[in-house]
Amino acid sequence: MSRRLPQWELTLVVFTLVAAAWSATLSPYYLSLDQILNSTRQFVYPGILAVGLAVVVVLGEIDISLASTLAFGAVLFSKFSAAAAPIWLAVPIVVAACAALGALNGVLVARLGLPSLAVTLGTMGAFRGLAFILGSETGYTSFDDSYLYVGSEELLGSLPISFVLFCGVALAVGVLMRRTVFGRRCYAVGLNKEASWAAGIDVAQLKIQAYALAGGLAGLAALVWIGQYGSARGDNADGAILLVVTAVVLGGVDINGGRGGILGVVLALFLLGTMRNGMGLANVAGPTQTIVLGALLIAGVLRPAIFRAVARVYRLMFPRLADAPN
Amino acid sequence: MQRRSALLSGAAAIFAFALAFSGAGAKDSGFKIMMTPKWTGFPYFEAAARGGKDAADELGDQFVYAGADHADVTLQVETLQNFLTQKPDAIVLAAIDLNAVAPVLKQARKQGIVVTTFDADAAADARDMFFNQMSYKQAAKTMLDCALMDAPEGEVAFVAASPTSPNHSAHIKYMKEYIQNDPKYQVFKVVDTQYANDEDAKSYDVAINLMQAHPNLKVIISSSAVSAPAGARAIDASGHAGKVFSTGFALPSAIKTYLEDGSEKCFALWNPYELGYLATYATHLKLAGKLDLKPGTTFKAGKAGEYTVGEGGEIVYGKPLMFTKDTVDKAGF
Repeated sequence: MSRRLPQWELTLVVFTLVAAAWSATLSPYYLSLDQILNSTRQFVYPGILAVGLAVVVVLGEIDISLASTLAFGAVLFSKFSAAAAPIWLAVPIVVAACAALGALNGVLVARLGLPSLAVTLGTMGAFRGLAFILGSETGYTSFDDSYLYVGSEELLGSLPISFVLFCGVALAVGVLMRRTVFGRRCYAVGLNKEASWAAGIDVAQLKIQAYALAGGLAGLAALVWIGQYGSARGDNADGAILLVVTAVVLGGVDINGGRGGILGVVLALFLLGTMRNGMGLANVAGPTQTIVLGALLIAGVLRPAIFRAVARVYRLMFPRLADAPN
Repeated sequence: MQRRSALLSGAAAIFAFALAFSGAGAKDSGFKIMMTPKWTGFPYFEAAARGGKDAADELGDQFVYAGADHADVTLQVETLQNFLTQKPDAIVLAAIDLNAVAPVLKQARKQGIVVTTFDADAAADARDMFFNQMSYKQAAKTMLDCALMDAPEGEVAFVAASPTSPNHSAHIKYMKEYIQNDPKYQVFKVVDTQYANDEDAKSYDVAINLMQAHPNLKVIISSSAVSAPAGARAIDASGHAGKVFSTGFALPSAIKTYLEDGSEKCFALWNPYELGYLATYATHLKLAGKLDLKPGTTFKAGKAGEYTVGEGGEIVYGKPLMFTKDTVDKAGF
């Protein structure tokens, strides 16, 4: 299993390079370092959400309320900015508040044993409602510059700070999942919940922690959002969850839990980003773009089946090779 | 030898200068204008795009139209970012969220790109000019004129998206004022205002409920292009055709059958083709240095006619269209 995963990740890298080459032929504007770096900006906030979601999915659960948590975080940031609170105070409080919302999901799922799709479908509406009540209909736009820094500024001329933040988050969560007890336990629970419980893992607590992590990351994504779009309102990031789930599934994280890693999710985001960037620069019509990305997602879901089919064709074509041991 | 090359390079410099000067000073065509709607594929915005394309063709400009296939502000910002990379001379857009598109539009203006909004505005400091399809008062009057064609007098009810939707609330406020103060419209009596959130099924239910709650109801008026056709469907389905009418803003393609079978008499809108044409034409004029955005300036926009710049770079298009059985076919969108 651990051998097959890098293979998919390698496939994603090849796909991305092919998509980049294709983009370069589609548009003369594509092949420029400034342009490519700047385009990463569009994928940072869904990317941070996807990294958090990946942890939850590894546990065999789902969280579709993350985009709503982001909206709540964005509105909360606007309250701190309006109160002229310093950003170093606002960030930990907002991240903690969003983590608390995530933990609430976790408690409902793990302690009460409710299905995670139903729970987070409910909180998706509830958290967004909370954001609408807390915020104003017209939205808040007069953020202090310090609040906008992460989402809007660049380092060395063209490297978006938000992209650096994303890389840091992905690296940290990647290490957490691969190199720590927490991560190993997540995979163990995802593969076999009962056996993990019998082995003495507190499954419920682990799930609550994972949901809290995903929620906290959504708070961080909110910081990127307000910088990039300069606006906080209840409907922020409405509909973004589709792209987030796409990235996680395409990244090779098994929707049933236990398999896949952060690297795959990051590579899937690069692939999606490269394709959207290339097609966007070539002004490809919207429906065509949706069809291409949808086909990509189906390919991601069908991946194991495709591999099996290819193997079968291979056996049919070279029966002697396959039957050699007989 | 040396002297001759100096002379040559001097001549070359003068020649280059003359070229550059004629290029910069007299540029009047060949601008690259990029347009993005709220979302593509919707007949309304496709008509606006055709108008923009025709204006650009007429003026010798390059015109590009692109965007996502559903209204999502992050996708619109991505489209605008991609536009910026392609270094256009101007961007024309219908903003999904007036604030969220502001940062990228401000960046565009910093790069010297002219930014024009139509249909739905962006934050005022993020664009050069905004083409407003119709003033609130004019929209209110147009819908009431349609209602008069439906019924000479009687009870009317309003359907809006929500109590906070800015344009719908303003339309209703002015319609109520006209019904109270203008003798022409005093024949009506307002009995109810309901909310349907721009949703088709909700609008249908709201219309049914209104007819049940008010047996003498004559006209349901909505400035939502979703609610008005849904109201017509509800009237038809519940057997109220000919007794109750639905009117307001609607796409001709959505209400054509009701007008043709006589169950409805009048709907209104404006011409999105001409709105797109006008926005693109005026953008060209601005690029060519022929349009001053000072309030009160008048300008001629080709076949779309003459317009006056209002406060804050806002220009009201203001030509309502009323669709009846006889005119709905000619709409072309």
